[in-house]
Amino acid sequence: MKNNIGYYFLIPSILLLAFTSIYPLFYSFINSFYNWNWGEQRDYVGLENYIFLLTNEEFWVVIKNTFLFASFACFFEVTLGIILALYIDRIKVGSTIIRTILLIPLMVSGIIVSMMSKVIFNNLFGVIPFYLKKIGLKSSFFGSPDAAMPTLIGVDVWWQTAFVFIIILAGLQSIPQEPIESARIEGATEWQITRFIRLPMIRSLVLLVIIFRSIDTLKIFDLVWGITGGGPGISTEVVQTYSYRLAFGFLQMSKSMTVMILFSSVVISLTFIYSLIEKRNND
Amino acid sequence: MIKYHSLKHYIPAYFVSLIAIIFTTLPIIWIFFISIKSKNDSFTRPPKFFFEPIIDNYTKTINNEFFRETFFNSLLITFFGIILSVVIAIFAAYALKRYQIRFKKTFMQWLLLAYMLPEFLFVLPMYSIYQTLGLYDTHFGLALMYQVHALPFSIWMLRSFLEEIPKEIDDAALIDGCSPFQTIYKIYIPLILPGIVATAILNGIWMWNELAIAIGLTFSEAHPITLGVAQFRGYASKDWGGMTASSILALIPMIFFVIIAQKHIVKGLTLGSLKG
Repeated sequence: MKNNIGYYFLIPSILLLAFTSIYPLFYSFINSFYNWNWGEQRDYVGLENYIFLLTNEEFWVVIKNTFLFASFACFFEVTLGIILALYIDRIKVGSTIIRTILLIPLMVSGIIVSMMSKVIFNNLFGVIPFYLKKIGLKSSFFGSPDAAMPTLIGVDVWWQTAFVFIIILAGLQSIPQEPIESARIEGATEWQITRFIRLPMIRSLVLLVIIFRSIDTLKIFDLVWGITGGGPGISTEVVQTYSYRLAFGFLQMSKSMTVMILFSSVVISLTFIYSLIEKRNND
Repeated sequence: MIKYHSLKHYIPAYFVSLIAIIFTTLPIIWIFFISIKSKNDSFTRPPKFFFEPIIDNYTKTINNEFFRETFFNSLLITFFGIILSVVIAIFAAYALKRYQIRFKKTFMQWLLLAYMLPEFLFVLPMYSIYQTLGLYDTHFGLALMYQVHALPFSIWMLRSFLEEIPKEIDDAALIDGCSPFQTIYKIYIPLILPGIVATAILNGIWMWNELAIAIGLTFSEAHPITLGVAQFRGYASKDWGGMTASSILALIPMIFFVIIAQKHIVKGLTLGSLKG
């Protein structure tokens, strides 16, 4: 169709997205060059906010925590999710019910997961610390700076592994059966079929899942806010909770926006990589 | 063939699923147990497995005014949010399917970016903009801000459902003299109704569970359910009854939704690029 009516149908979406995404992006970007703390006063400071953050020890701890959390959580979720999908792909009887049950954690909000973790890992009355003590292990979870981060990672793995699992499973089930059948006739073992046929065929899907999970784990907020609040000390503080604390706790509005601008550039590059992969797949 | 369908093939698979199911459900079951325990029963060492079940925690949570308010706030916010996103997205998805749009690729990339960017990038500027516009701490304001995530998602989903409609139906509608609006509501909407319902449900689940945007853009009047659950956290987190009962209550609508939308969840998680 040649007429322009198609553009009119896009106008509401474009306006709404411009208001909710482009406008805030520019607003943050411009304010990252000012010193503004909610009040009337708003002075141009050039790159001062950026220099302050990049030379600030606390900021680098936050960055380190975020990447530590994202890389470990992502690694375990993707590995476990793929293993799970490879096994459950074999099942024909009862696979729908198994899939539905395994999907449940994805529907639980971060704040509920936080509540559950706080109850289950409670040092005095929680069920897990109690039984660990019983078998002679002294444990501390969210209370100690060393253990809080690994426990958070573990909780995220419980919460989000199903995302990887369900997508990889769908990918495995859409693989054509002929090459697998003929490999079997040739006498290939199940492991060889997985290693040389199944995994190569879902390679682009695995990349997609890794990008999605890494952006999502870098953005983590609910779990940290809900369970540790960034503590003990700043041992579990991540970028989004840090930004929240700067803006609403210390009223450092423009510094907080600068954090988000720096962080968004990382997300934008990851999104760009994702687009490249998508493009290569479609060609 | 028969060799591969032997027990050796299936037993490890069922064994792995059993472990995964236990690992997945046990924490939720445990939380449910605590929610029907009395205070004395939940703080025993060793943990009690046999106890007198009570519903006091639930009646107390339901009678908690703040929790009740947030529950209804979330219903309202989710309702507004779903209507906004689905209605606007149907037109966009239709335009993307039916017309030659010059900047289609740029538009799709913009959608992906808006979907991916971190919440606080939007929340901080919106905090001050919303106060000027009078949208701060309102249900509609929150539903509006949720569009940054919900709208790209809905456009993707509905587009992928529309793509499945054969081109002949388009042409037939055109020949019969249907206007674009008529084509949308007389032909497309009935055809992809299950897809619309699935999109609405997945959007609803996301909005119901959202915290970061809500924490920045509400103060008291429009607090959603996530903050209603979070209130029980407290400093000492000793109100286990409130924490667990409110969690279970907030979770029930979601489990109900999952069962309805189960078939379309894979499509939703891959932004419409993969069928389940």
